[in-house]
Amino acid sequence: MATARPVRAMDPYAEQFWAFTQARELRLQQCADCRKFRWPPGPTCDRCLSDNFDWRRIRGTGKVLSWTTFHRGYFPEYPPPHTVVVLELDEGPLFVSVPVEISPRELREGMTLALRWTDGQDRLGEYNLPVFGPMNG
Amino acid sequence: MNGRLAPLKDIVAIVGVGETDYAKDYRGSGGQAVEKGVARYDSYTLASRALKRALDDAGLTKSDIDGLCTANLSGERASELWGLNPRWSGSGDAAQCIIEATMAINAGLCTTVALVYGNAQRSMDTAYGGARVTGGAITSYFYYAPWGMTSQGALYALFFQRHKLLYGTTEEQLGAIAVAFRKHAGLNPNAVMQKPLTITEYLNAPYIAEPLRLYDYCLINDGGVALIVRRADMARDLRQRPIMVSGFGWSEENVDATQLRPRLKSFYHGAHHEVAAQVYPMAGVTPNDVDVFATYDSFSVHLLASLEGFGFCKEGEGGAFVQGGRIELGGELPCNTSGGMLSESYMQSWNHQPELVRQLRGGLGSRQVAGAEVAQYVHDVAGKCKSLIYTKGA
Ligand SMILES: [Zn+2]
Repeated sequence: MATARPVRAMDPYAEQFWAFTQARELRLQQCADCRKFRWPPGPTCDRCLSDNFDWRRIRGTGKVLSWTTFHRGYFPEYPPPHTVVVLELDEGPLFVSVPVEISPRELREGMTLALRWTDGQDRLGEYNLPVFGPMNG
Repeated sequence: MNGRLAPLKDIVAIVGVGETDYAKDYRGSGGQAVEKGVARYDSYTLASRALKRALDDAGLTKSDIDGLCTANLSGERASELWGLNPRWSGSGDAAQCIIEATMAINAGLCTTVALVYGNAQRSMDTAYGGARVTGGAITSYFYYAPWGMTSQGALYALFFQRHKLLYGTTEEQLGAIAVAFRKHAGLNPNAVMQKPLTITEYLNAPYIAEPLRLYDYCLINDGGVALIVRRADMARDLRQRPIMVSGFGWSEENVDATQLRPRLKSFYHGAHHEVAAQVYPMAGVTPNDVDVFATYDSFSVHLLASLEGFGFCKEGEGGAFVQGGRIELGGELPCNTSGGMLSESYMQSWNHQPELVRQLRGGLGSRQVAGAEVAQYVHDVAGKCKSLIYTKGA
């Protein structure tokens, strides 16, 4: 059984995003007209209002912008302490994730982290969760 | 833009304010805080009580009301409950309602608007984090649940962590905000949290979402607030001195909001700058003229953001600015003089307005800002920013 996680917010675009994770592919929508990457997934390019897009596999690296450690439990699936990090992906979007193979004390502003995968499931099904760890890991 | 707002300066006044008994209602009969989820009130009970008090404060009756703004309430049910058939109605946060009521009055749709908020959030055990959060219009409040990210507090923790990383702001500097607001609450008999707070107690309190601690978070209590806004030429000769709505501004920084770009890359200063460019010229004042200041403060961090964004100090210097009593009563810029949402009452922008009105009316005793002529409120919820400037008028 995959690890239980809090339920995902779902719409037709999120459904596609999570479907790719079953093959461990991190894909974001890129506007087919002006090439802007967007996140979270959705129907329209916010720069040019085009609804033409491609699901692009991204490099899976980004720089640390900020992080927080929960010392109080909010989800039974994530007992405290639990740390969340925000990265600026090479392709542009900011991405909220979980740091792995690194302690919160070792996180630094601007540090590059790279994509890892961990399993997950909720009442909507099984998927893989994109998480981030050190480059040389 | 400023030229277009200028004709709306001083065309309406706040003529009445009413609030429920926050402190008394928070304690049970034994003097202890009432547990969350133990229903004692509903939102309409609290709102009705506040409305009656605001009308009494103004010396008006409900037959004088021809417009109604409701917040956290059904407009229909509230009107029905109070026997009102308004000619205009609205809803939203306090700043939004005041701005929209001003426009409705200016357009001739109505003359006297009751703005009423009620929230039995403690009785109802309202959740602001975890699996019960739906987020309303703000997607970032729930979207990252699969990664264990939740709560507005954690989003402000990310904001403050970024501020620390960029500017070297310290947790002790941030603590001065909670300490100052608590000091103000100690002078306010209606504040829920009046027990003095020292910086040592602040630093010894547990982290909730590190680097934010317990006292960086607002409290959760039941309450209601009402304001009566009336056309200025009809506001004289009432029970209270009318307090003029002299300036306002509105801007929302929503592009890339869910991925937290405006929160973490600009601290919402884009919206702050837009609003500052409206509110100060409209009122004909500058930040230097502001005698008493209040900011939306579900978290202490809000004050750093608004002080920097509205030009009270340079970007990155908010941590130093709030030191040394500068934001306390008697200081250069007294902020959230009622205790704010951190220590007086979490009325989601509504309790700040009666306090600023009272400060300009005068006679608040030990809590009075001496000679207060200009008061400013800054509203900023996830980059949805508005501001109001109140003056004593002519
Ligand atoms: Zn585009």
